Amino acid sequence: MAEPSAGDLIARLPRTFGPSFNDQLAQWNLLFPAEQRRLRAQVDWLAQLPPAAFKHLFEPIVALESKMDLPRWDPSAKGMSVTDVGILARSPLYPQWRTEVAKVFATIDEGVGSAGALPPMRRLLMCVLPAGLPPSKEPWWPSLAKGGAWVDLDRPFGRAFPALVASVVKRKRPAGVEDIESTWIFESDARFTDAPKPPGETVVSWKALEQVRREFLNRLNAVRRDLHSVDQTNVDLKRLDIGKWMPEALAAQPRVREFIRGVMLSGNGSLVFPSSFVQWGASEAMRRAEPQAMIACFGIRQRLKPFSSSVLFEDQRRSNPTADADDPAGSLVDALMLAEYVRLTASRIAAYGARTLTIMTGEDLSRMLVLGVPAPKSKLDEAALRAFVMGHIESEG
Amino acid sequence: MLITRRKLLELAPLAAAERLARAGNPKSAAIAKRVVLVTIGGIRRQESFSKEGAIYIPHFVNDLAPQGLFYPLTINEGVTSHFNTISSILTGVWQHVDDWGSQKPANPTLFHYFQKQHHVDAGQTWVVTSNKQLTANISPGVNVVLSKQLMIEAVERIINGQTERRRLERDQILQEMTAVLETDYERIGWGVPSTSTFQDPEVKQTFLAALANFIHGPDAPTSGDDLTFLIAREVLDRIAPALLMVNFSDMEVAHSGSYSLHLGGIRRADALCHRLWQFIDSKPELKATTTLVIMNEFGRDPDGSSTNGFFNHRTDTECCRMAWSVVLGAAVKQPDIIERVIRQVDMAPSIASWMGLETGKLAGAVLPEFHG
Repeated sequence: MAEPSAGDLIARLPRTFGPSFNDQLAQWNLLFPAEQRRLRAQVDWLAQLPPAAFKHLFEPIVALESKMDLPRWDPSAKGMSVTDVGILARSPLYPQWRTEVAKVFATIDEGVGSAGALPPMRRLLMCVLPAGLPPSKEPWWPSLAKGGAWVDLDRPFGRAFPALVASVVKRKRPAGVEDIESTWIFESDARFTDAPKPPGETVVSWKALEQVRREFLNRLNAVRRDLHSVDQTNVDLKRLDIGKWMPEALAAQPRVREFIRGVMLSGNGSLVFPSSFVQWGASEAMRRAEPQAMIACFGIRQRLKPFSSSVLFEDQRRSNPTADADDPAGSLVDALMLAEYVRLTASRIAAYGARTLTIMTGEDLSRMLVLGVPAPKSKLDEAALRAFVMGHIESEG
Repeated sequence: MLITRRKLLELAPLAAAERLARAGNPKSAAIAKRVVLVTIGGIRRQESFSKEGAIYIPHFVNDLAPQGLFYPLTINEGVTSHFNTISSILTGVWQHVDDWGSQKPANPTLFHYFQKQHHVDAGQTWVVTSNKQLTANISPGVNVVLSKQLMIEAVERIINGQTERRRLERDQILQEMTAVLETDYERIGWGVPSTSTFQDPEVKQTFLAALANFIHGPDAPTSGDDLTFLIAREVLDRIAPALLMVNFSDMEVAHSGSYSLHLGGIRRADALCHRLWQFIDSKPELKATTTLVIMNEFGRDPDGSSTNGFFNHRTDTECCRMAWSVVLGAAVKQPDIIERVIRQVDMAPSIASWMGLETGKLAGAVLPEFHG
């Protein structure tokens, strides 16, 4: 898709909007198709807005900006630094600014309507907790379960999982869905990374990205306690050639490579804990790429070691005499919450709002929580499970 | 669900509500009133004072809130970042300065008022903090001890081979922390108004005792907040300053997305606040003079928010802004649960008023229950 012409649009936008708008346009080729469609629709809608309506739309933000004591940002700047964001966020008027920004985008989204989206389609979200977790005294996802139903399986889900994923990946896709927006898998280990990948499958593995993470952590550990150092490290990490440290299938796709860089730069534990990486990565991929099928495989993290763990970004194996050990109990608590967060993220994204089958389960569990569609009433064997999932995602309408 | 007076009483049968005896001989005749102010990082209602959260804070629910003034609705109307929040609590005015602690608060702090009006030096005003964002800028002229940063520095020096000590074993860490303390305390951000402070044998012994307790303590403590507690306790025991601020932040591991470790940090803060109160209560000279104020800085973002829920504390929501406070000790006439909304900036004028300090007009107002 060709980059939209923003013309003089950016110069007419409020000053707090310019840098991020510029950033998006400058990285046009690194945006996913869903983002490109959305941005183009927004630009087109704003460009055709009569001057008076345009002024009216942004007037409250411009008025707030004039009272916010903001520095003179270069309108052609691409993105904001940590320092800039800090200045904005600590303004007494920041909460009002955020409220007004949300209103503006609600208006734009309403104006754009469905112009920036693919036709509605059936979607799939699977959140799978790893094998080896301890039994839980409490029921899993009690809050989500109120809106769905537990379905019994004739065997632990993990035994049917690889074949089910293979079927999902090979499914017939709706017209207009590109490979990059077909199926994404986030995993803590490298089970799906190591398997042969047909077109349309994007697998992002915490384990396979270890060297990239280590390079990021090494640099972040060296950040001095001042904003200039933080900003400089961010700039350096944005330029770092990370492709050489990641699986070839990912490095060969600039959009995916830069997506991974973005996930790692935006924190949220993506560099530190495997399940945090899976949660944040899956959430960002749904927000940005809107794949038709998203599979999030959570993992077991290691027990934090005494003293090393005070330096969270440090490799805990270095110089520490304490032996490595998994923390299954802590991992269960983490993954239950983070899997729920993936589901909550999907529920905020219009593309997943309806017609999304969500399956929440664990590899050792002989049942699964079904959300979003009517659940089967009877116990499912492997074939029935596959038929249920494929019947949903391959159907039209 | 918010814990109300009735719920709290159901959860925690009010212990013998006899107020503490106020008699006793203060260690220093010059100090009639002391305040220990504890700030704790972001803890949501659902992981603390609520029906489902009470299990994570058993000491607050059963031991602390029932014998103090409990303000379950303490709102943070400022910037919900660490430095700005703590600055606001200390100044009584909402602060909007750099979150990374590179600027001073724009208004005088309680420490400043105390030093000026009582004509005392830095020895009476101490900050012991786990959070490294609480730099020496929090109140220039005060002793600021970044306890967790001391441990981090020692660990990093060992890991990176910058010392002859090579293993993260307890004795080697003790030696390294002691070495950092001797030579590098300024570099790691500690604020000591006078270098002679560290030459004072009592001050030196305070730190060495705390470090030895940390390394060889019976519970084998290892976390930054454990160390902060032990240093704060030694400062209280040996120096007994008029104003001591302590900050716990282990629950901020939430930023990395481990909910289990976040809950562990909350449990630890609960236990350490209780131990701090028990310590004050066990020392007649402290018990008679000391008010302990405990405040969480804010909540965290709601589950399902676009800011990734419990990971962060950025939203303009009740979940993020509504905190709580507990006041114990000398300024408490009788235990009570105050169910009206108060503001975090009300605490500074209340503490100041109780200590007889003149602050002029602040954004915060004196809490009428806070007296003695």
